[in-house]
Amino acid sequence: MRREAPLPNRVLTALMLAAAVAWLALPSVSVAPNRIVPGTPFHAYEIVGWAGALAGCLPWLAMVALAWRPTPTRYRVALGLAVLLLAALPAWLAGAAALMIDPTTPQARLGVGAAVWLLLFLLGLVLIELRGRLALPRLAVWLLLAPVALVWWLASSHGLESLALVQEYRGRSDQFTAAVIQHLRLVAGAVGASLVLGAGLALAMRRHAGLERVGFGVLNFLQTIPSLALFGLLLAPLAWLAANVAWLNAMGVRGIGWAPAFLALLGYSLLPMVRNTFVALEGVSPQVLESARGMGMSRTQVFLQVRLPLALPVMIEGVRITTVQAIGLTAVAALIGAGGLGTFIFQGLGQAAMDLVLLGALPILAMALVADGLLGALARRLDPRQLPSAGQEATS
Amino acid sequence: MIELIEVTKRFGSETAVDRLSLRVEKGELCALVGTSGCGKSTTLRMINRLIEHSEGEIHLEGRQVREFDEQTLRRRIGYVIQSTGLFPHWTVARNIGLVPRLLRWPAPRIRERVEELMALLGLPVDSFADKYPHQLSGGQAQRVGVARALAADPDILLMDEPFGALDPITRESLQAELRDLQSRLHKTIVFVTHDMDEALGLADRLVVMKAGRIVQQGSPLELLRDPADDFVASMLGGDDRGLKEAALTRVSERMLPLSPRLIARARVPRDATLHQALAVMFREHADRLTVVDEDDMPVGELSLRRLVGARRDE
Amino acid sequence: MSESTFARCPAAWTLWRAPLIWCGLLLALAFGMAALEPLFRAVEPGSRQVIYPHAEFLTLLGRHLLVVGVAALLAVVIGVGAAVLVTRPAGRDFLPLLAQAASMGQTFPPVAVLALAVPVLGFGTWPIIVALLLYGLLPIVRNTLAGLQGIDPSVLEAARGMGMGGVPQLLQVELPLAAPVILAGIRTSVTINIATAALGATVGASNLGAPIISGIVNGNTAYVLQGAALIGLLALTVDSAFERCQRLLGRHGR
Repeated sequence: MRREAPLPNRVLTALMLAAAVAWLALPSVSVAPNRIVPGTPFHAYEIVGWAGALAGCLPWLAMVALAWRPTPTRYRVALGLAVLLLAALPAWLAGAAALMIDPTTPQARLGVGAAVWLLLFLLGLVLIELRGRLALPRLAVWLLLAPVALVWWLASSHGLESLALVQEYRGRSDQFTAAVIQHLRLVAGAVGASLVLGAGLALAMRRHAGLERVGFGVLNFLQTIPSLALFGLLLAPLAWLAANVAWLNAMGVRGIGWAPAFLALLGYSLLPMVRNTFVALEGVSPQVLESARGMGMSRTQVFLQVRLPLALPVMIEGVRITTVQAIGLTAVAALIGAGGLGTFIFQGLGQAAMDLVLLGALPILAMALVADGLLGALARRLDPRQLPSAGQEATS
Repeated sequence: MIELIEVTKRFGSETAVDRLSLRVEKGELCALVGTSGCGKSTTLRMINRLIEHSEGEIHLEGRQVREFDEQTLRRRIGYVIQSTGLFPHWTVARNIGLVPRLLRWPAPRIRERVEELMALLGLPVDSFADKYPHQLSGGQAQRVGVARALAADPDILLMDEPFGALDPITRESLQAELRDLQSRLHKTIVFVTHDMDEALGLADRLVVMKAGRIVQQGSPLELLRDPADDFVASMLGGDDRGLKEAALTRVSERMLPLSPRLIARARVPRDATLHQALAVMFREHADRLTVVDEDDMPVGELSLRRLVGARRDE
Repeated sequence: MSESTFARCPAAWTLWRAPLIWCGLLLALAFGMAALEPLFRAVEPGSRQVIYPHAEFLTLLGRHLLVVGVAALLAVVIGVGAAVLVTRPAGRDFLPLLAQAASMGQTFPPVAVLALAVPVLGFGTWPIIVALLLYGLLPIVRNTLAGLQGIDPSVLEAARGMGMGGVPQLLQVELPLAAPVILAGIRTSVTINIATAALGATVGASNLGAPIISGIVNGNTAYVLQGAALIGLLALTVDSAFERCQRLLGRHGR
């Protein structure tokens, strides 16, 4: 059979047609005269007229055209276009701000509309699809996204000052920094403590089968209890302890605050940590261990040189799961006064100030993604099946 | 030299090895054969003390294995297992250099030894030294396993079903390589297998085990000619064992000098087995073959009567 | 079913004991919270009110279950459906995208998803259901994909070879074989959603999270304990029931 032209990429086509529809049919921005009043939504055609809005469809349709007869080159062009579009969205928002907001009303603010959120989401999916098609390494995607992040960052101080999210940040930049630090501190504390405790527990469980059963029973039980309930249940006993044990009180232990948050986070973190450490150590192939022993390695050598290095990727995977989970749970901990970024979320929800909610939620999302990416990369790096092969280079 | 005297191993109330006595001479390849669960692997692993025996004595070069420090003992004995047990996080070179490193050889000597072994086992250093085990084929991995066992030049090699997981073609070529290696290195090898053909082809001495005891031991030919009981006979392939015996005997051992008769058209190489010669007769509908040397020059002849009848020791 | 399998199968009571006990405790507590007033009085001696007054606990429990149940039902239908579609030849193009998106999406903390849903969808019950649905989809999609792709190819080959294929193959071979993995995904999804739904109280939903939030805001530990105990018991009931189902399914394991 003659080599036919490749079939259209239906995924890209579908995503980009959805993007074009979203662009036309959903509001791009909302404009509010001040913080209290809910914003008025504006569609793209209400901002730049129908001609402008239809012109704005062109990039999406260009992507559809590229996907019609896809070749690696066209995929690369599409990737460039997607990155460019991601970086162009803040410009669009800034333009909308310039057009829609009266410069004489300093209180006026711009909300990001559903269309822009959806476009961001769809472009993210496009990146995932293109990464798969071009078999790009993860690092390449991160490198591509770095300038995009930079553009957004720059735009926040040049042209997007009226964005409500930026204004919320302006109002409490010190609080924000403190909250980020507090959040990270709680996560790091809980993950670090659970790493030490969890590894110890896993090692003890390998010795005693009884402890293994009981330990996993208790940890599974803990993991099942919803976070809000566990925070609540810890509140009463800790309050009692703080009232009755002087040195705990002196340490700052209260029914409300970091103490119950830390304890609950630790409880939740232990299960994935212990489970992964245990499974990792137990999962090392018995043949490998037998041959290590058969070659005359001592117990310590077998553990340190064979069992531990082979278990490490799965253990790191445990740290990854634990960290991502703790980042989310710490947000809930704000409810019991532990501070952190969750504070903004719940304050925002309380005041119906959605951009304040975003100010808390977006960094949490970013933290989770970054932690996931970094620890995932580390685990892959340590996995022997993923190690780079110098041998293949030597043969070629 | 390895000697087991009245060795017994119990796991709880179960007796895995029952008063087993065995002597493996220096430079001998001894194959332990039997159905699964007969105690052959246990016997092997008691020699390097991966399993401690319950009763009896195991001697190595005249000393009881219990007197050795466990790790010192194991570093002196090469050990190869079925799935190779290569360390997946180490390169081929590092895997092979394991025991020399445990013995604290200086680095240049280890490197030299690793390269020497890779050459010996047909693994080009340039393309294999830095590969990881998951990048190797089954046969290559098993070669690395053998190289690793040979690294510190041990006198004794224990092999536990080393070729069990390989496809038949790779298995046969590795068996041939092991035969070749052994003819040069003369190690004392204890080899566990459930594949009787493998044992017949490799072993100087065959030990047939059943339920923790030795049923019969001897050279492959001795067993084939005179199996002790029905179990051994069936292990050896029942009525097929005649053919297996034929497969162990070379044409050169049976052929007669060229007779003045008309030379037979069908030919068979001198170093072929009687099994192959029989196959040629069958295919060519001939009862007489001309035996030729490597240069295809006739050097003798082999008749069907001679093939099936005469004994080597006549 | 062979006799030995039957012998290993304990009586229904033994099997369902744990979920039934949790469920019994949950209902008893929901009905009889008022009877425990002296206990809560001891916890919170300074307050005038020690039993959460704004709604019946049974109503709160019902609403909680309703929200989680509706979201779970929709998530199962949509999640399993999507995973099945992309594993058919016609939808194969979308498989990598869906798999990647589902596994990346699980990185998002549930609180953040809930919090982000509110600006887009607004306050109330429906936004919470949608947020729970969106988040609950991810483990279901991921596990369904894993379950369907984890089936031994030779089994599928045999099914095709014997003239199955299309819908019968999906219903009689693929889904039953993938069921344990899919069920595990549903369990994860529902467990997370019970917890996340409680957070819905902060965006104005009236469910078992409400006493906790109200207790924290008013400094009334008794309210917090009442809500926390009920949510904990609900989670344990549902989770242990799922565990039994998994055990039942696992019995016909591969």
